[in-house]
Amino acid sequence: MTPQDAAPALAGALIALGLVDSAFSGFRAYAGRDARIRKGRAVVRASLRGLAVGGGLLLAPVFTAGAVLLAAADRHRAYAALAEGGIGFLVPLACYATAVLLSLAAYLVLPFRASTLAMVAGLGPLTLLRPLAVAAACAGVLVRGAGVSALLVGAVAGAAVLSVEPLVHRRWYAVPRG
Amino acid sequence: MPHLEISDLITVTDPRSGARLPVHRGEVVHRLREAGDRRAARIVAALPADRHDVLDPRAVDRLMIGVHTELQRLSEELRLGERLVHVLGPLFEAVRATVPGPLRLVDVGSGLGYVVRWLAAHGPLGPEVELVGVDLDAALVGEADRLARAEELDCRFVHGNAFDLPEAATVYVSTGVLHHFRGPDLAEFFRAQAASPALAFCHFDIAATRLAPVGAWVFHRTRMRHPLGRHDGVASARRAHTDETLLHAAAAPGMRPLLYEPRGLANPFCTTLRPIIGVRPELEAPLRRALGRAARRLVGPEQLVGAAR
Repeated sequence: MTPQDAAPALAGALIALGLVDSAFSGFRAYAGRDARIRKGRAVVRASLRGLAVGGGLLLAPVFTAGAVLLAAADRHRAYAALAEGGIGFLVPLACYATAVLLSLAAYLVLPFRASTLAMVAGLGPLTLLRPLAVAAACAGVLVRGAGVSALLVGAVAGAAVLSVEPLVHRRWYAVPRG
Repeated sequence: MPHLEISDLITVTDPRSGARLPVHRGEVVHRLREAGDRRAARIVAALPADRHDVLDPRAVDRLMIGVHTELQRLSEELRLGERLVHVLGPLFEAVRATVPGPLRLVDVGSGLGYVVRWLAAHGPLGPEVELVGVDLDAALVGEADRLARAEELDCRFVHGNAFDLPEAATVYVSTGVLHHFRGPDLAEFFRAQAASPALAFCHFDIAATRLAPVGAWVFHRTRMRHPLGRHDGVASARRAHTDETLLHAAAAPGMRPLLYEPRGLANPFCTTLRPIIGVRPELEAPLRRALGRAARRLVGPEQLVGAAR
């Protein structure tokens, strides 16, 4: 299978990853702003807000990719370059997402002492490294030799996912509530 | 240079009357600069003050409530409630075997009352344990009370001195309070409990490991938004007392000091907070029995040297 053949699946995987990340971003924007003990519904609401904002922002890389294709003299070549770039973008993010999901599973399933390990060695540092994971994804585009247009799409996608948390925070959680 | 926490300096309360005392911004900034902490000085310099340079108490209260709300997130993530119950469950079991009747847990320096409210919401200690949070900061107590009422939790909060309550505590607890006591104040804190009718205390604080300041930086950087919270979080990890200091200070007459998960026995990645426990001597054996296999994590001053090796 060539990268072009896999392009729809690649795009789907990247969008799915972006949406899951948006839901987590919504949670992070809310966390630490509500001191109640029982807040399951508020967590779900914050995640849905992140999902909604992320869904909107992720249209930006989709439109950018569309514009790149429309503006290209050789659309077949541009499509191939975007597909190559998609692979380069996905691999670092998939590694990062796997580490996050494994840490999260360990945190949720294991007893408190081991869950602390998952938090201290996993989820905490991984949150800090999130912008670096996006940078690595953009570097992955260049490593695959996908060119500047694909890098532009990757950079717009990266900026979109990194914007979700501050936007949700500013819109709904700027003031602590309970 | 001493590590100072901004929150200790911008909220000053008379411990006897509980009255809020005015704080001059310039004096706090000067003190922080003298301690070599320019970043902290900049944070305080940006806080609102009146024309006499007295910090705006309402702005400070809002800030403290906001920072403590963010801080609660770390307690939630590190499963502080479960961590407490792991020790408090057996401790109350031992107390019940010795003393009949209703029991009272008093959380010293309860802040927003997360521990007390969590215990009230989950009920792991049983309905006959009255849950009381006490703090010298009126704004934090007021917010803790508001939160408890909003969720209809069976607990109460008192503004004042935890060792001057009309009804005696059975067990004193605290989380993240010990590192605020420096020098002789630490031993005095433990002596006050030994002199009270309380049967035990169980005070959780940051384990003074090499990892603690790095871990505190990562977590406060990622989880807290206000620079004050980020600053104080790291400062508190740097100020954490060593195992030896805690056991020495807790050795008050009439109380048997025991440290749970000392540095030599615990994985610092898994033990971010751990308690210094004090029990009346007759309670030590029942406590060890109630802890079961976990009792091997409990050491007294005489065992600490061996455990640390």
